[in-house]
Amino acid sequence: MTTASDREEKVLRYRVGQRVVHATLAISFLMLLFTGLMILWPPMAGLAAGGTSGIIHRVGAILFMAVPILYLIVDRRGAKELLVESFTYDKDDLAWFKHMGQYFLGHAVGMPPQGRLNAGQKLHHAGVVITSATVVISGILMWYAKGSLGAGGLAMAATIHDLSMLALTVLLVGHLYFTFVYKALSSMTTGYVSKEDAEIEHPKWIEEMGQPQVTGD
Amino acid sequence: MATNAFLLDISRCIGCQACTAACKTGNELPAGTQFIQLIEQTRGTFPNLEGGFQNHRCYHCTDAACVSVCPTGALFKEGGMTRLNRDVCSGCQYCTDACPFDVPQMVDGRCSKCDACADVVAAGGTPWCVRTCPSDALRFGDRQEILAEAQSRVAAIKERYPKARVYGETEAGGLGVIMVLPDDPEVLDLPANPQVPLLVNTWQKVVQPATMGLTGLSILVTGVAAVIARRNHMQELKLLHKEEAKADESK
Repeated sequence: MTTASDREEKVLRYRVGQRVVHATLAISFLMLLFTGLMILWPPMAGLAAGGTSGIIHRVGAILFMAVPILYLIVDRRGAKELLVESFTYDKDDLAWFKHMGQYFLGHAVGMPPQGRLNAGQKLHHAGVVITSATVVISGILMWYAKGSLGAGGLAMAATIHDLSMLALTVLLVGHLYFTFVYKALSSMTTGYVSKEDAEIEHPKWIEEMGQPQVTGD
Repeated sequence: MATNAFLLDISRCIGCQACTAACKTGNELPAGTQFIQLIEQTRGTFPNLEGGFQNHRCYHCTDAACVSVCPTGALFKEGGMTRLNRDVCSGCQYCTDACPFDVPQMVDGRCSKCDACADVVAAGGTPWCVRTCPSDALRFGDRQEILAEAQSRVAAIKERYPKARVYGETEAGGLGVIMVLPDDPEVLDLPANPQVPLLVNTWQKVVQPATMGLTGLSILVTGVAAVIARRNHMQELKLLHKEEAKADESK
């Protein structure tokens, strides 16, 4: 049960390294999305002429591929936790999925108790990890093997690339949606969230931490 | 615009390179770039050898794979010809992979291929290669007339070349270069049945619009839901705070 004082109290949700990694991922992804969109959406196709967008796409690709390495360097523990937790689901997570519609419509109170990541966040991360792998593999193929892929190979790689981006973009739309609905932006800017929000949405995490830290790291 | 086609009579080509030179000069191609490559061929087994020339160039496919995959519209169909607007080319090289005849090349980071001398034709002329051919192996004109000419030429050489045939009437959905072949296509280094994989045609025509549509739909749905969900969440927080205040009071 939350108390009025919890509304003022803050808890550290993401360390500075994690926020830097998140920003790198966000910036590189948007670079890739918009330069990619230029050759996918006919009204924007003129912007791709001359190949400048192709060069920006490659710079974005290197940044995007560097994200997991960067995460391991700046916050090894955080990277490991993210990966392990995103692919581990308990009973409460399964119960959470059953009430997903309710959470989607803004009702967080009364949802099955969640840990550091709720089941939706876990699934989101797992989806990002998997489709990032397919988008990177198909992208590398088109970068290095173009000219020797053949018509079928090129179309296959490009189709996988497009469908992976569809998944990643819809995941991004959902990500922004929940950030807005549950006013969660501060977790990735200052790193802190209100204790009240954390207790409603991640009670098992708060419990796990025992006495929550109120100072920075 | 009428559907035009080239006639390319392999049985009449003497390999003089006049078309290659006229093409290079007329189109002011940079050094090292050619739209037509004449490749000398020796066919058969000794002592029954026969010589000839493969005329490798853009065959202006009706259902051109390069046009299907071109993301910027630099490659496009017009009047039966596969045209190229280099100004909008992004140099992605999709066309080089998609072409079943291995035609488009990259020059200075952009696609380079035969444009069927579009400017010359628009001004009422005929393409440079056709104008210069001394053996009447090349012609240019209305596709139906070119096709009829090709058929009559095949009939005329059937006695000398029993395997003679027309190539390009239906191959790869019909070509814009109708060829008179003295032998089977494989012998002349042409694919007997040039195929464009189904995925090449569905990738940009089906997969990409579907991708855009679904992304747009997700934005629309979440955009509407966001307003409702945000309000719901604010209400549940308000309710929670009220209950807390009540609990505090009763303490």
